[in-house]
Amino acid sequence: MSDVLELPWTEAREEVSPREYVDACLRAIGTHNRSLNAFLSVNDVAPEGSLPIAVKDNIVTTDLPTTCASAILRNFRSPFDATAIARLRARGASIVGKTNLDEFAMGSSTEHSAFGPTRNPWDPTRVPGGSSGGSTAAVAARLVPAALGSETGGSVRQPAALCGIVGLKPTYGRISRNGLVAFASSLDQIGIATKTVRDCAEILGIIAGHDPYDSTSSTEPVDDYAADLASGVKGLRFGIVREALAQLTGEVRANFDAAVAVLRGGGAIVEEASVPSIGSAVAIYYIVANAEASANLSRFDGIRYGYRSERARTLDAVYAESRGDGFGPEVKRRIMLGTFALSSGYYDAYYSRAQRVRAKLRHEFAEAFRAFDFLITPTTPESAFPIGAKTDDPLSMYLNDIFTAPANLVGIPAIAVPSGFDRAGLPLSLQFMATHFAERALFRAAAFYERETHYWRRAPMLQSERA
Amino acid sequence: MNIDRNEARRIAALAHLELDEPALDRMAAEMTKILTYIDQLREIDTTGFDERAATETPLRDDHPRPSTERDAVAANAPAWRDGFFVVPKVIGGE
Repeated sequence: MSDVLELPWTEAREEVSPREYVDACLRAIGTHNRSLNAFLSVNDVAPEGSLPIAVKDNIVTTDLPTTCASAILRNFRSPFDATAIARLRARGASIVGKTNLDEFAMGSSTEHSAFGPTRNPWDPTRVPGGSSGGSTAAVAARLVPAALGSETGGSVRQPAALCGIVGLKPTYGRISRNGLVAFASSLDQIGIATKTVRDCAEILGIIAGHDPYDSTSSTEPVDDYAADLASGVKGLRFGIVREALAQLTGEVRANFDAAVAVLRGGGAIVEEASVPSIGSAVAIYYIVANAEASANLSRFDGIRYGYRSERARTLDAVYAESRGDGFGPEVKRRIMLGTFALSSGYYDAYYSRAQRVRAKLRHEFAEAFRAFDFLITPTTPESAFPIGAKTDDPLSMYLNDIFTAPANLVGIPAIAVPSGFDRAGLPLSLQFMATHFAERALFRAAAFYERETHYWRRAPMLQSERA
Repeated sequence: MNIDRNEARRIAALAHLELDEPALDRMAAEMTKILTYIDQLREIDTTGFDERAATETPLRDDHPRPSTERDAVAANAPAWRDGFFVVPKVIGGE
C-alpha cells in the first residue's frame, strides 16, 4: 500500500481507489508528521479523492483552519474556499491537510513558524527551505503526491530544491489569488509542488485561469500544459545567466555544469546570456515585498478577526498590542522595513528607486528572451542548511533567494527540477525560467531533463523508518 | 542607512507595532544592516525607467453581488454584539 505513495499522482490514480489513496496519505501523515512537523492540521475525515493534496496554511479552506503559521490567526477559520481550492475540489481533489510555513510566508527556512520548524526529510537537523517548507517536505517524504504553496520570492522553488522535488512558480496572474492571504500583491502567486513535471503540468491545468474574484488574474487562455512533455529540447535555446554563474562555487557549480551537458546531449543550444542587474534582485525584493506587506498586513488589527490583546484599554492600544503580541520577529522586521521604505522622506530613495531598478531588470529579461527560449540557473546557491544556522542573520537568510526572486519581480514563470545530490546526500536543483505564459514550453524542457536524469525516483529515508 | 532607536520608535508607531526598548534596539541594528545592503541600489543607473508597474490592474464592473454571510463573519470576531464589532471607547479616554 505504501508503494502507491512512491508513484507520481498521474500513475497512482490508475492503481488505487480514491478512498484507498486518501487513506494511504492519512496513514503516512499519522506515522511521520510528528518528526517532520510538515502539517499544522490534518483532515481526518478527508473525503475520498483521486487527488489527495496538501495545502499551505495561507490558502483559505472552509473545512480546516487557516493560521498562516501565526499566533495572530491561531483560531481563524475562513467562511469561504480559495478559488484554487474550489477548482481542485470540483475535479475530485481531497484536501488532506494544511502545511507549515514561515509566518505569513515570510522566510526561506520554515523556521519562522509560530508552531515550530518543519524538518527536512533528507536530514532532520536541516531546514526544508521556505516559506512553503511544510508543503515540499510533505511531498518529498511521500506523505502526499502534491501540494499547493505560494511564491513571493521563491517560496515554492527554493524549498522544492532543498527537498529534492519539482516546484513551479507560474506567470503572475496565471492562478487566481482569491483566498491566498496577501503578502506582496505585485509578486504573490500560488505555486505547485510535486514529485514529477507531469503531475505539476496537470495540476496547473486544473487551477489556472481567469477568476472574477481576482482582477489581477489573467484572461490568457489556459494551455494544454502536458501537451509537449515528450517533445525534447532539440534546437531549443537555453541561456546560462552569466552574472549568476559567477557567484557559484564547488559542488553547486559542478552540478550545474553536469545539467548543462544533459541539455546539450539532447540537442539543445546552450550559450551564455546576460542579465546585468540580476544581482540586485534581493535588494529590490526586500524593499518592494516589505512595502507591500506593511500595507497588506495592516488588516490584522485585532478588530474583525484574529487575536486581540486582552489588556488593551484604548483603540490604538488594541492595534499596537494585538500586533505586537501576535506577530513573530521576522514579520515585525519586515513590516518595519516596509513602513520605513514608504515613509515620508524615504519613499524616493527606497521604494521608488527599487521599483525603477525592477523596471530595468524586467527590460533586461525581455532582451534576454529575444535570444533565448529559456534562462537557466541553479535554483539555490547551496543545499539545505542546518536548523538555526541563519536565524540570527536575516540578511544571509535573504540571500538564499538570489536566483529565485528575479522571476517574481519580473512576473515570469519558473520551475525547479531535482538535479542530483551533493556529497552530504542533500538534493540540488536546476531552475528553468521562460517568458510570460510560456509554462507549456517550461514543462517541455523540464520534462526532458527529468527523463534523462530521473532524480525524482530517489526518496529520503525518514527518521521514523530509521529507528 | 543608519537607523537609531528613536527612528525605530517612530516607524513602530507608524506601523502600530508595540515594541519594548530592547526590541527597538535590536530592530534598529538589524534594519541598519539590511538597509546598508539595499543601498547598493543607489549604484545602478535607472535613467529611462520609471516606477510604474508593467501593467495596470484591470478593474471589474461595479455591480452589487452577495457578500459573506454576517454570521460567518461574526464567528471569527474577537468581540461582537448585535451585528457590530465591539471596540474600546474611541472618544473621551477610558
